[in-house]
Amino acid sequence: MAEREKVYCQTIYDPACTAGLQSTWGFGNQLFVFPGRKPTLYPENQLHCRRLQEIREVRWDIDLYHPVMRKLVNESHNIFVMLQKHAAEKAVGGSIHPLILKSSRQYIAVLIAYSDELKKLADATIDEDKKENYLDLLRLLKMSELIWSLCEILFLDSPAGGLVITQLLDWIRIHFTDEETILQILQEDRPDSHQFYWDSVYRLVLQGQIDHARRLLSKHTAAYSDNFQSIDDLLKRMPIFSQMSRGHSVAEFDMKWRHWQDDAQRRLEEQEFASNKQLRTICRILAGEEAVFTELQDICGTWYHMLVSKMLYQHPTVKAIDLQYYVQSCLDVYRNSQQRLGELDNILLVALEFDIHQVIKESSSMFSNWWFVAHLTDLLQHCGQLEAHKLQYGSNLREFLLLDYASSLMSNKSLWVVGVSYLDHCPEFGRHYLENFIENMPIETERKAQKLLNICKERNMTEQARSICKVVGMRHLNNKRLGAALTWFLRSKDVAFATVIAEKFLLEYSESGSFTNLDLIDNLGPSMLLSNRLTFLGKYREFHKLYEDGDFFAAGSLLLSLLDSRLAPKEFWLTLLKDAIPLLEARELIFSSSDTYQLMHCLEELTKEFDVMKQKDGKRRSFSEHEKEKLDLLKLGLTRNLSRAIVTEGSIKLS
Amino acid sequence: MFVTRHIPTDHQDLIHDVSYDFHGRRMATCSTDQTVQIWDLQDNGEWKCTASWKSHSGSVWRVTWAHPEFGQVIATCSFDRTVSVWEECVGDTGRDGVQSNWIRKTSHVDSRTSIMDVKFAPKHLGLLLATCSADGIVRIYEAPDVMNLSQWSLQHEIMCKISCSCISWNASRMHAPMIAVGSDDPSPSAGGKCQIYEFNSANRKWNKVESLSVVTDPVHDVAFAPNLGRSHHLLAIASKDLKIISLTPYG
Repeated sequence: MAEREKVYCQTIYDPACTAGLQSTWGFGNQLFVFPGRKPTLYPENQLHCRRLQEIREVRWDIDLYHPVMRKLVNESHNIFVMLQKHAAEKAVGGSIHPLILKSSRQYIAVLIAYSDELKKLADATIDEDKKENYLDLLRLLKMSELIWSLCEILFLDSPAGGLVITQLLDWIRIHFTDEETILQILQEDRPDSHQFYWDSVYRLVLQGQIDHARRLLSKHTAAYSDNFQSIDDLLKRMPIFSQMSRGHSVAEFDMKWRHWQDDAQRRLEEQEFASNKQLRTICRILAGEEAVFTELQDICGTWYHMLVSKMLYQHPTVKAIDLQYYVQSCLDVYRNSQQRLGELDNILLVALEFDIHQVIKESSSMFSNWWFVAHLTDLLQHCGQLEAHKLQYGSNLREFLLLDYASSLMSNKSLWVVGVSYLDHCPEFGRHYLENFIENMPIETERKAQKLLNICKERNMTEQARSICKVVGMRHLNNKRLGAALTWFLRSKDVAFATVIAEKFLLEYSESGSFTNLDLIDNLGPSMLLSNRLTFLGKYREFHKLYEDGDFFAAGSLLLSLLDSRLAPKEFWLTLLKDAIPLLEARELIFSSSDTYQLMHCLEELTKEFDVMKQKDGKRRSFSEHEKEKLDLLKLGLTRNLSRAIVTEGSIKLS
Repeated sequence: MFVTRHIPTDHQDLIHDVSYDFHGRRMATCSTDQTVQIWDLQDNGEWKCTASWKSHSGSVWRVTWAHPEFGQVIATCSFDRTVSVWEECVGDTGRDGVQSNWIRKTSHVDSRTSIMDVKFAPKHLGLLLATCSADGIVRIYEAPDVMNLSQWSLQHEIMCKISCSCISWNASRMHAPMIAVGSDDPSPSAGGKCQIYEFNSANRKWNKVESLSVVTDPVHDVAFAPNLGRSHHLLAIASKDLKIISLTPYG
């Protein structure tokens, strides 16, 4: 394959590049090329080139990203998915052949539809560059369709008895009909005076469009002369082999054909058309005379048109597999002319030789995208045309090409979803590819993140989902959107970061005395259990709510339990104890004596710890004046509460 | 078939490295002019320089991005024998139009010679940084607390006994941590110019598992391919010619 592969060349002119040229892979089909050297090749004492440096971004094979092509990608995706679905269902017995053929026809219909659209766009635009771009794409689609249709006839469709002439004629008709000229001719007052009148008639006859040819001939001024009537009679009686006429066997058709062609030859020999050169030419075609095809080579235009025309009049019952034996004589006719065999010709040739692998190989190097080969190979695989051909580098040819096609879609911001679906249909490596791709997808918006997460969820890719949440969370954290960050870290169940953010919230509170993101904190629910700090945050906020609602008893017991369970971080104890003051001073007795003892115990523990820290290094902060004042107040409150509690608890309750 | 586009940088001298971030939406460039530039892909598809600063006191050889799970973090290495880790800090005024600030979080000064390459480990190994220096030492640093990028500890020093030029981590999650080190030693007698090291978790040591004797020319760059379900590893080695090496793990 290597020697056949096309080499694309793009030259970069930049004097700075004499110092070396480097490159870095980008995202998808993208390279950065820049002058410079790896440090290993760069002597530090080299004269510096003091000029502005340029980086070149090089991209290629991006024709699928064109808006029209994107639509094509999406539509063909639907056909692809449908086929895979049906193929899976039918795998257990039942023939999927009709389905494959249907899909193939749908692909071709899509190619035709977008060829038409591109043509319209090209005609409508006045921008030369754009027009050129449209026309390039149009050529690409036309070529795809031409090859695809032939492959369909040869590999996918299996016509009755292996006879292919009807399909081949359809194939030629679609690509070589010049309806515009025919319309023009018909609109003339004297159609036969049109300069392309006879050319058009010949072409119609060569393509087997007998009815149209007769119609055109009937417009001739001499249409009612004897020799015109004679030709018309011949044309009218020309046997047409069609699959529909099941009653007739091939042998029967063959006999009829011979009989008819003998008649044509007889008329020719009898010089029936001696007076009219053009009619004689037509009759020579009908008689299948070898020389006439060479004479009409310009009307056929290509060797494959000639092949089909010749088959029609020389071997109408030719089988697909035998076509290759007639190719050479047609090629020889065109060899003399200036036309050289192009890549397209080569692909058609190997197709006619039934070398499917070569068709795929050559098409891979001719088309600058994987659309064509990936879809065609998929069909051929389903058809069983590709024997289990093991590749050194992957599973089978179908998957190998689908992976390439999917990969080429992944770097486009609107086509990547389609790429994901194709990867789903690659049983061996698809998942590994997807895991790699999904983690690398740019996450521009929350919506995109959500979309990616859904994809992960559907495929049970927990590791990737976790990473996505973390990346988004991290971004929010860097942008100081703590609430949003916490939401994402909760989703990724990230204990460390949830703790960090909970701490930040608490810090915010101790600095400003109020909470931000109340909505989020109030609705933490069971997710607060992710981290101790988060649990504390949630519970502490609950305490505030209880207090605000005037439910002092509940607030008090919650406060106590936070301290008692050691859930509250030490640096927050002071705040909690301060919060206890109003409860201690409340009209009703909220803390029992044992509660009060516990609070006192906590206070003692805290004070002691502060003393220890103070001794360790003098620089550590001790209680500020304000705090001391508060502590005194607290102590007072505690003692007063204790005495109230003892008295209350000691009293006999009067019922 | 090719579409090219110019991105004029204002680097005053040769660019040594261009590096994409994990998502391909940002890139970092570094140059002999001692600066690093950060570029962001705009919605209209244009690259815009959003930060440019003098980062070292010598040519900056390489720049590399950490996984975005660790925030917006890059590492640079330089002729000035240091490796720096930088983190982007977004100003309070919001993102739009504001040039972002990149703050040096740490600087490793353990090397006595120019540091030739720096690479973050695949993220499943944590926040790890491997560097290699001209005197043949690979150093692996770790930030144990991913919230604190100022604290790094030197975890391992691997003596390669040959001048190092480039390094690459194997990203496979299924295998023991592995790095490939390339050497630019010009002497053909110095042996294989690419060495493979694997981490042994039992004795917590990096062991040389392979020295590729097929590579005798100086190596400019090495890179492991992402593991896409293969049972073997693929390593590309850029030397006078390009070699793709397949490494099949034992067992």
